[in-house]
Amino acid sequence: MRLPRLGPLLGDTLVNLRRGGWGGLAAVGAIAVCSLILGCLWLLTVNLQAILSDWRAQFEVVVFLRDDITADQRERLRRWLHAEAAVAAVQYTSKEEALALFKREVRGQASLLDGLGENPLPASFQLRIREGHQTGTALRAFATALERLEGVEEVQYGREWVDQVGRLVSVLQVAGWAVGTILGGAAIFIVANTIRLAVYARAEEIEVLRLVGATRGYIRAPFILEGLFQGLLGAGLALLLLFAGYRFVVWRLGLASPGLFGLGGGRFLEPLHVAGLLLTGAVFGGAGSLLSVRRFLKA
Amino acid sequence: MVQFFRVHKTFGRDAEALRDVSLDIRKGEFVFLTGPSGAGKTTLLRLIFRDLLPTAGQILVAGRNVVRLPGREVPALRRMLGVIFQDCRLLMDRTVAENLHVVARALGTAEDEARRKIGYLLRQVGLLHRANESPSALSGGEQQRVAIARALMNDPLILLADEPTGNLDAELATDVIRLLREVNARGMTILLATHNATLVSDQAKRTVVLKAGQVVADNGA
Repeated sequence: MRLPRLGPLLGDTLVNLRRGGWGGLAAVGAIAVCSLILGCLWLLTVNLQAILSDWRAQFEVVVFLRDDITADQRERLRRWLHAEAAVAAVQYTSKEEALALFKREVRGQASLLDGLGENPLPASFQLRIREGHQTGTALRAFATALERLEGVEEVQYGREWVDQVGRLVSVLQVAGWAVGTILGGAAIFIVANTIRLAVYARAEEIEVLRLVGATRGYIRAPFILEGLFQGLLGAGLALLLLFAGYRFVVWRLGLASPGLFGLGGGRFLEPLHVAGLLLTGAVFGGAGSLLSVRRFLKA
Repeated sequence: MVQFFRVHKTFGRDAEALRDVSLDIRKGEFVFLTGPSGAGKTTLLRLIFRDLLPTAGQILVAGRNVVRLPGREVPALRRMLGVIFQDCRLLMDRTVAENLHVVARALGTAEDEARRKIGYLLRQVGLLHRANESPSALSGGEQQRVAIARALMNDPLILLADEPTGNLDAELATDVIRLLREVNARGMTILLATHNATLVSDQAKRTVVLKAGQVVADNGA
């Protein structure tokens, strides 16, 4: 397949972009709006995932023990916990240690301790859970198994949190794909129609090129490059707006001053995500162009 | 050079454009294809450069069966052909030289070679002095000469001309035919479709007459 040389190809593309006028701007705008919505969803998902990940790193399951547990039962329970695949680390807190900890936490409010006869706080095991086992279903099953063991009084973990945040991230991911697909289709349609005008404006030249034996690749290349440029421009514009919006929200919420790519406080899209969004815009633009010029060449 | 074997072409269900056409055009021949409007002249030319496919029959162009040619090989076929039309199909937003340059670029001709060739061809058609003008500033005959120069940019084996004198008065038409005869004298095969009987009778050349899609006369078969 004969393709045009890069210099003249870029020249043709720039001429096409200039000739495109308002139509070209409409395509850039359409891609910018679609990319902005996608970027918002992406940013939200990334931040929620980051929160979830930070939280998971500190995630603990606390197994409170019955007061009448024997040393033998406690030892069996410790061995069972160490053997369990979901458990990354086990730490034991005796009744005395729990009371000392409590006293430290409520220092300055000594009256809270008045009237306490014997130590009412239970001994417990604090378990660090491996990340792969931190799903709501896995934790529920694990807690149920623990509660059946001898000497266990109660098992506590942030069940609702785990379930809700996990669900939210899943919903956002699905919504992201669904919205992305719809918006992508819309962007491709708009670009296809914009480029079609450019294709029709150059119908005579295309006809001449076909007659003299120019390959389809040669004829298509400037239009596809035009679409790619429009897509990149649209996605770049969307990223600028997204970053400005992100800074505004962080400022309004009074969060720590964020830096680009998560340096500092909040978390913006990482370089890979930024590249992904630019690429998505370019693909929308290129696909729209290809669709349009293919249809024309087939006609 | 061009062979038609029992070619039929039907548009839609029953609009027969060509019926059982068999034809053999030899290398270096200058052939007039004539007949009334709607006789099938343009259809026959379009079949040669694979703008259309026949409903039945086979067509060989420079030894290639164009009916069985895969789509990706059509550009290579067209690079062996030059095509000119009655309406010239020049790009009015480019200069005369740029109209030829478009072809050079599409064919991947080196810039120096392209410039040399454009100069040579414009000199051949007598329009070198108007290279930097818009085609809209030229007369009909001059525009057709630019179209001929453009069709010769790829050194075609066969030149197909569809009513190239249709918009020209008798003097300019003779001028264009003289130019085409010069090209033919250098060995290029030419197939020229026209319904201008006077023009044909003035030239002692092979003439194929089409009527209602059939070859009804051929003085060189």
